[in-house]
Amino acid sequence: MRIRVAAVGDVHLGEDIRGRYRRRLEGIEERADVLLVAGDLTRHGTPEEGRIVADEFRDLPVPVVAVLGNHDYQSDAEDEIVDLLREAGIQVLQDDSTVITCGDARLGVVGGKGFCGGFAGKCASEFGEPEMKAFVRHTREIADLWHKALKGLDTDHRVVLSHYSPVKDTLTGEPPEIYPFLGSYLLAEAVDAEGADLFVHGHAHAGVEKGVTPGGVRVRNVALPVLQRAYAVYCLGDEPENC
Amino acid sequence: MDQKDQVASHHDAPHYVAARVQRALAEDERTYELGIRVDIRGDQLFLRGQVEGAERRGAVAAVAAENAPWLTVRNEVTVVEVREPGEEETL
Repeated sequence: MRIRVAAVGDVHLGEDIRGRYRRRLEGIEERADVLLVAGDLTRHGTPEEGRIVADEFRDLPVPVVAVLGNHDYQSDAEDEIVDLLREAGIQVLQDDSTVITCGDARLGVVGGKGFCGGFAGKCASEFGEPEMKAFVRHTREIADLWHKALKGLDTDHRVVLSHYSPVKDTLTGEPPEIYPFLGSYLLAEAVDAEGADLFVHGHAHAGVEKGVTPGGVRVRNVALPVLQRAYAVYCLGDEPENC
Repeated sequence: MDQKDQVASHHDAPHYVAARVQRALAEDERTYELGIRVDIRGDQLFLRGQVEGAERRGAVAAVAAENAPWLTVRNEVTVVEVREPGEEETL
């Protein structure tokens, strides 16, 4: 019961590169069963760019599941962008889950944009000024929702889709001083509590592709500048030889 | 004048000029690039990182030059080359 998961993030589409990414998606059905898009779909977060994203990913021969990234919030039009994507048949996760059926296998995908705060021992806490408490609380509430969503999934495989990173491993190459703005260990903790086959994120353009959570969940940074290819494909199966 | 609108001066320490340029690259609607590294060495300003298109590479240099016009901009930013998907990884 194998499932091939294609994933990419940070495509940052805009008028100047309209159509450029779509060409690279031709033949995706030969390589993958589903496409996950890990946020920063747009550059300015405008509805106009949202329409370009919808056109780029609509009517693909495989299901498309996406989350938003920080760029997609820049123009306060995130709800409109989500509506445009959904009208184009793209599933958008906002701290919830979906189940994709691929042949006789069922894939559960949980996720949302995630958020930041830093990593164990070097992170912000819900303490002090209201602004700091709100900052950390936002991530904690997201992590709690993901934990519940994972708990509620009864599928052959489970993948978590995020924009922000759950671990430092995949940030190697980024300045360590900005790690707290690239992800949070709270996201990893929530996933490790329930287990998953794979955690996919973007956001860290100068990072590396591969990492692992403290609980052993494989993490892959699929930001386009990291992959430098149209998408990565990860094969999930009961036995590796089935892939 | 809002701090965001202030123009850097060649009297400012390079440290603060680099910070101002980096902030402009992140906040100017022509760029919105958060991952560009800015280094100032003598009278040269180096830009490093990756963007998704040639126009964006030019915009990064233009915004940097506007914010530190007395420096020579060395644009070492590259455009992401999107290749074929490549082989799959079995997990």
